[in-house]
Amino acid sequence: VLVRSERLGDLEVDDAKILTFPEGLVGFPGDTRFVLVEIEDGEAYRWLQSADDPRLSFLTVIPWHFFPDYEPEIDPITQQELGLKDVTDAIVLCVVTIREATPAPITANLLGPLVVNTTSRVGRQIVLADSGYATRAELVGA
Amino acid sequence: MLVLSRRANQSIVIGSDVVVTVLEVRGDHVRLGIDAPRTVTVHREEVYAEIQRENRSAATVPGAVLPSLPRPPR
Repeated sequence: VLVRSERLGDLEVDDAKILTFPEGLVGFPGDTRFVLVEIEDGEAYRWLQSADDPRLSFLTVIPWHFFPDYEPEIDPITQQELGLKDVTDAIVLCVVTIREATPAPITANLLGPLVVNTTSRVGRQIVLADSGYATRAELVGA
Repeated sequence: MLVLSRRANQSIVIGSDVVVTVLEVRGDHVRLGIDAPRTVTVHREEVYAEIQRENRSAATVPGAVLPSLPRPPR
């Protein structure tokens, strides 16, 4: 399937690689199909591009590259609904925000990670209420 | 907005399967119990709103060119 992206150009994507977020992301309930795109020279990062809206993309980060102690607790209902037998069956990504400030702090949302079943490719943005994780955790580079 | 008065141990029913019960009122603090099907997600509004706001800021990465992204520490 052809996925158009204003940021990444046209992407030819295998149907089996489409991720489905049945509820969308928080605040974006209408966008349920996404593709993950690797970033050249950025092993920790992935683009999450809407398969239906070329303008909608999120930069995401695999949190453990920057936060090795991060332990998102996936509630049993979510585990069941996503069909996760084990957390290792999941891709976990955190949405990255780049602000228009100077210097622009680059932060990751650890409070609302995206969890995707690697086999079914169904995902959800979970809310780690009471976890104490921040929505704006700064990515501090090497 | 519908406004209802409830006392402790009284409930409201939303739809056919969501029941919100006032458990305790103490000063300006109200404890609520929520019975809902497991498919209904329930969050404190401010947590949900914060994630929604963060998603909205994240969806519009400024400029066509990305700033150089931090490299993970090794």
